[in-house]
Amino acid sequence: MMNALLIGLVNAIGYCDYLFGGIMINRPIVLAPLVGLVLGDLQTGVIIGGTLELVFMGVVAIGAATPPDTVTGSVLGTAFAIMTGSGPEIALALALPIAMLSQAIKIGIYLIRASLMPKAIKYAEEGNSKGMERIHWASFALLTVSMGVIAFVSILMGAEAMESFVNSIPTQVLEGMKSAAGLLPAVGFALLLKMMISKKMAIFYVLGFVLASYMQLPIMAVTLMGVVIAVIIEFVIGEGTPAGLNKSDEEVLFDE
Amino acid sequence: MSSAAMKADERKVLKKVFWRSLTLECSFNYEKMQALGFAYSMIPVINQFYKSEEERAAALTRHMALFNTTPHVSPFIMGIAASMEKQNAETGDVDPASINAIKVGLMGPMAGIGDSFFWGTFRVIAAGIAVQLAQQGSVMAPLVFLLLFNIPHFLVRYFGTFWGYSLGTKLLENVYESGMMTRISKMATMVGLMVVGAMTVSMINFSTPFVVNFGGAEVGLQGILDQILPGALPLGLTLFCYKQLQKGRKVNALLIGILIFGILGKYLGIL
Repeated sequence: MMNALLIGLVNAIGYCDYLFGGIMINRPIVLAPLVGLVLGDLQTGVIIGGTLELVFMGVVAIGAATPPDTVTGSVLGTAFAIMTGSGPEIALALALPIAMLSQAIKIGIYLIRASLMPKAIKYAEEGNSKGMERIHWASFALLTVSMGVIAFVSILMGAEAMESFVNSIPTQVLEGMKSAAGLLPAVGFALLLKMMISKKMAIFYVLGFVLASYMQLPIMAVTLMGVVIAVIIEFVIGEGTPAGLNKSDEEVLFDE
Repeated sequence: MSSAAMKADERKVLKKVFWRSLTLECSFNYEKMQALGFAYSMIPVINQFYKSEEERAAALTRHMALFNTTPHVSPFIMGIAASMEKQNAETGDVDPASINAIKVGLMGPMAGIGDSFFWGTFRVIAAGIAVQLAQQGSVMAPLVFLLLFNIPHFLVRYFGTFWGYSLGTKLLENVYESGMMTRISKMATMVGLMVVGAMTVSMINFSTPFVVNFGGAEVGLQGILDQILPGALPLGLTLFCYKQLQKGRKVNALLIGILIFGILGKYLGIL
């Protein structure tokens, strides 16, 4: 019981990475030693942490993607391995399916948060910044507390029960959630387009798309080309007098 | 304008922005991504510089637009946005749409820089060193990892806030007099749209393993699509969502629809 509480707490701490702007306390190399510490075997925790970090080094949340959730995966994997007296291999074998399962939960929570956004926008339109702050913190608490509770319950249920539970979920549902997560950013981009696009400007969206699809340029390159093209259009081709520039001669002198 | 010349109240507000920026991803979600976190960070600025309720509400609403960048470099963009909000509050001659145009124009390149520095460089170096220590069983490993990553992180985060603000102020001072702002925001919209176009390809993960049978010859549908128009599926999906939004369809309906499509599509083998 005590162990379950402490592991739940460690798992919640992992999600507090979002509270500190991404200081990396959600990485296996930090969490596994913490699990070891609360279970009284720091040494094993550190060694498992090194192993999991190597495996999960490429698993990071960049951009809009939601990768397998390494936090709950490594915390529970490490905990079960230490509690059953086994080594890093078992930790890893457990961490991978748990990470995929908790990824699905995390996607669900991100969807619940998305459903709170119309409320946040309504608060914004009312000038109610306190209300917006409440939604901000409730969103954070939702993820952190849920994941803490999930880790707590998992340890109570035990390693075997956990494993069979993970296996009982149809892989097609998990896989389906994963592919849906890849599609969901389309809604965000559509919202951006609705905000920015006009008949005259639509061609620049097409240009960015073509550069990335046919020429496979990275975002950075597209951005720099965008800047160059914008400067060419505005200052080289459209070199007119900007409104208000020659209101006073002083400014022209000043520019020289 | 150097940061030393900043007024005391400006410094105080920016420090609040710095602290609040840490929570940028606390409310991350699929609809607006970091928008609420960004708005949350801008609340002290908005309350400080705007006096009327209407202006504050307009500013809060403005910052609820979709936003996504590397969290570690976000304060730089917040600093620039803060300087524009201040200019708008004092003179009223900032086109409010240009504040979002500049945010969107900057989030792509800043994410490019931030991801490669923080995810690709600092984190990998710190983890590499720490994993070696961990394999030797040294309990110093997590501490070394956190220190190696976070010293550059907090330097960039703290000074980024102030640097973005003074850069924004300086640009605005020069730029406003000559009526350049409309041009710059038009340019930012051009760049922003190009970035959104590129992100449509690279950030939406949409391909199909579906195989078409032409009288015995099996041809992958994705292969055909890639030859005609690579990224056709992400583009089609985005434009579909855009059309639906224009028709007044609710965002949540789109999200749930895509979720069901994802699970069904995987089940039917078309995803």
